[in-house]
Amino acid sequence: MSAAYTPQPLTQQTLHPEDEGPFPDLAQTQPRHKTAALTLVSRATQIKERGLLLLFFACAIVAVLGVVLIFAFVAYQASGVFPNIGFLKFITGTKWSVAHSQFGVVPFIVGSVVVTIGALAIGAPLAIMTALFLSEVAGPRARAVIRPAVELLAGIPSVVYGFFGVTVVAPLVARLFGGAGFGPLTAWIVLSIMIVPTIAMLSEDALDSIPMGIREASFAMGATQWQTIYKVVLPAAKIGIIDAVILGMGRAIGETMAVLMIVGNAPQMFAGLTKPIATLTSQIVLGMSYAADDFRTALFGMAALLFLISMCLVLIVRLLSRTGKEG
Amino acid sequence: MRDMFSEDRERLKELGPGAMDKTARNEAKRARLLKERLANNTALAVLWVAAGITVAALILIILYVVINGAPMISPKFIFTWPHGVSAKGGIWPTIISTLYVTGLAMLIATPVAVLAAVYLAEYAKQGRIVTVIRFAADSLASVPSIVMGLFGLAFFVEAFHLPMSMLSAALALSLLMLPIIMRATEEAIRAVPRYIRWGSYGLGATQWQTVSRVVLPWAMPRIITGLVLAMGRAIGETAVVFYTMGMAINMPLTPLESGRSMAVHLYLLAVDGINLKAAYGTALMLMLMIFLLNMFARYIQRRYRKVR
Amino acid sequence: MRSVRPAVALLLALMLTGALGLSGCTKGSTDIVVSGSTTVEPIAEVAGEDYAKAHPGVSVLVSGLGSSAGIEAVGVTRTADIGTSSRDLKDNEKKLGLEVIPIAHDGIAVVVNPANPVRNLTLAQLRDIYAGKITNWKEVGGDDVPITLVNRDESSGTRDAFTKFVMGDTAFNLDAVVLPGTGQVREVIRRTKGAVGYISEGFVNGQVRALAVDGITPSPANIASEKYPLSRKLYFLVRKDLSPEAQGYVDYVLSDAIQEGAVREAGYLPVNPKGGPRK
Repeated sequence: MSAAYTPQPLTQQTLHPEDEGPFPDLAQTQPRHKTAALTLVSRATQIKERGLLLLFFACAIVAVLGVVLIFAFVAYQASGVFPNIGFLKFITGTKWSVAHSQFGVVPFIVGSVVVTIGALAIGAPLAIMTALFLSEVAGPRARAVIRPAVELLAGIPSVVYGFFGVTVVAPLVARLFGGAGFGPLTAWIVLSIMIVPTIAMLSEDALDSIPMGIREASFAMGATQWQTIYKVVLPAAKIGIIDAVILGMGRAIGETMAVLMIVGNAPQMFAGLTKPIATLTSQIVLGMSYAADDFRTALFGMAALLFLISMCLVLIVRLLSRTGKEG
Repeated sequence: MRDMFSEDRERLKELGPGAMDKTARNEAKRARLLKERLANNTALAVLWVAAGITVAALILIILYVVINGAPMISPKFIFTWPHGVSAKGGIWPTIISTLYVTGLAMLIATPVAVLAAVYLAEYAKQGRIVTVIRFAADSLASVPSIVMGLFGLAFFVEAFHLPMSMLSAALALSLLMLPIIMRATEEAIRAVPRYIRWGSYGLGATQWQTVSRVVLPWAMPRIITGLVLAMGRAIGETAVVFYTMGMAINMPLTPLESGRSMAVHLYLLAVDGINLKAAYGTALMLMLMIFLLNMFARYIQRRYRKVR
Repeated sequence: MRSVRPAVALLLALMLTGALGLSGCTKGSTDIVVSGSTTVEPIAEVAGEDYAKAHPGVSVLVSGLGSSAGIEAVGVTRTADIGTSSRDLKDNEKKLGLEVIPIAHDGIAVVVNPANPVRNLTLAQLRDIYAGKITNWKEVGGDDVPITLVNRDESSGTRDAFTKFVMGDTAFNLDAVVLPGTGQVREVIRRTKGAVGYISEGFVNGQVRALAVDGITPSPANIASEKYPLSRKLYFLVRKDLSPEAQGYVDYVLSDAIQEGAVREAGYLPVNPKGGPRK
């Protein structure tokens, strides 16, 4: 998201400082359909243009419809949470036992948060440093090797990461820390590798959109390269980088198959780095195949929760970008 | 943009700190500079190490999959059916199912996404509606895949009584691809220089004529790049396909038939853990497919740069 | 690339595909839908492949969604021709009037790391271990090594059976690692000294050791006679209005080809080792 909105190509910005919105509005400078009446085109052409406009608009609305439908349907399937389980019991309950019809999701929320925060704590600094390296330090040759590599890393399917986690990382963790090797620590390692490319690529976009001039000014004042990075470039790209981290966070929270394979899936509260836990996503998959009635409702409730969390993250990114532009 | 400044940047990197040294006369100043330089070098070294770790992780994962998967890859593995309880043999139907569902999802998502992007970039006035559409597209892009999968199950399969099939999965996947293609297309359209449009309008073309004959062809290479990347995303998707396509091993003919995609096949093999060899082979095939798609996108981008 | 004709062509192609798809429904192939237990799924799948090969025009679609879902699919929603189950019918499911056909025996072996000196556990000990009351092997006569519990996911038929045979109403210790596959359980136990888990007897290999339960080893004979405490049967469930194609498929599953082939390959024991297809 921020890839598109934060980094403004320099030339366009300087050409149209008065433009609002994420993009300089090219449409403003063009003849619009309303003024088409002045041009020498036939009525049929005008009608055709109108019709096409409607068609395009309809296509654009599909995205809105999609989101609304997704939420409406998941929420509808989850609505039984209120009468049957009790919303408070659902959202604040700490016991999950299908056999006893106890559907408290706190252990999974805690699990998701633990896994996500840990993955971010490892992945985000690594990713931001990689982005800084690519944008500020690397020569053209290093860039030419590392950038495609990072892009490729972003393209690897998550199930491959999970497979890697279960066959390589879990045994390694088991050997180093005892136990079976499934738990938050394993998930942190695998997920952090997974979110590095996402955060790195978006951060790099943000860094690249910083005007060269302020770096030049910094160097001219006698700053070293690191001082320039630390005191000038990073603060300037702050919003874009935060956006990138939040989007990485979204990826980590929503990750399903890879997490399911490495987290241990024990529906208990987080008790230690090598103790198995479960997340919202992993529990949905494990339960969905045989869920019915209230159980199924609870799983859809968890999905609705995930949806709301991801929406909140997008909203935060939006607000940040806006304040960033105003400030 | 970046290329324009890269030379300056290179020069500045060399000149910046170095130039300072020469002008520094004072001993204390020199000591401070030395310290700064040490901090600078340490920090830069850390950045080198960080980038190194990222690349090392990539190499590790790729090597791991290639070394374990390569012995499996053979025409027999690619072109025969899996058989027996632990899916011995090949993965041919899963390859076909994957391509089938991805292609179908492309067919559904592309026209809608491209036209939506045309609307956003060429027709729409900046205003509340556009803000809402953009926000929706962003949200759609960040819906967790498991939520998309459950939605696909509840909506297409249960509410619309579609079977678990290529069509259901393609519809759900197209929702996933929509924002990716939209974004790529919109950026591509915005990158079209405006004088080209002016030329078209100057010749008396209508807006649609300008868009269809001038703008879209010009933006096509970047749109195709976006399409290819969206395809890569769809091919590797597991959770969405799992709940909408089923997991029966089947060679799909009609869109209403069920099937098992490569990603789901890999997931089932890996989770079951009996036939890991086939899992490695499938993982390698999956990565190869996505790698080739990436290469293809890169090739198109490069060719397009030359034309310009 | 001169115009947007590709986009138009795409649209047309889409419509064509849609039309083809709809017309495809009416073509003359028969689908046998088999749905239910993940335990039975591999057998049903292999049998389905072979059966479809031998009978052109018939295709067998197998999905594993758990025993409950399978029973519901064949008995309530009627979306499946054959339901599969790795457990007996519950009371409310018995009312559906389904015919129950046993297709295999399954014995659930309790497995530990080969380095573990423990050879036998009583059912009570096993229950206490999985309930978290016994946490160290020395409490059951082994070394001073903490027990690492490995459990299966709740949709697993194996877990269902283990719950029924061993746990009863006692709750599992939530601290157990939950793994969704037999091979994974075996692998974790192979590499973890204090681990204990349970898998179908047919999957026990040299990497793990199967324990005797209440002094009875999980040998094929003990499982077939259900003398071994953790023995069960696997079932096909069909409605009375079974189509001839589906009946043919059921017969094929009960034939020697599948009983001695896929059933054994999947880690189970044939339901009637000597006989041929039966009604």
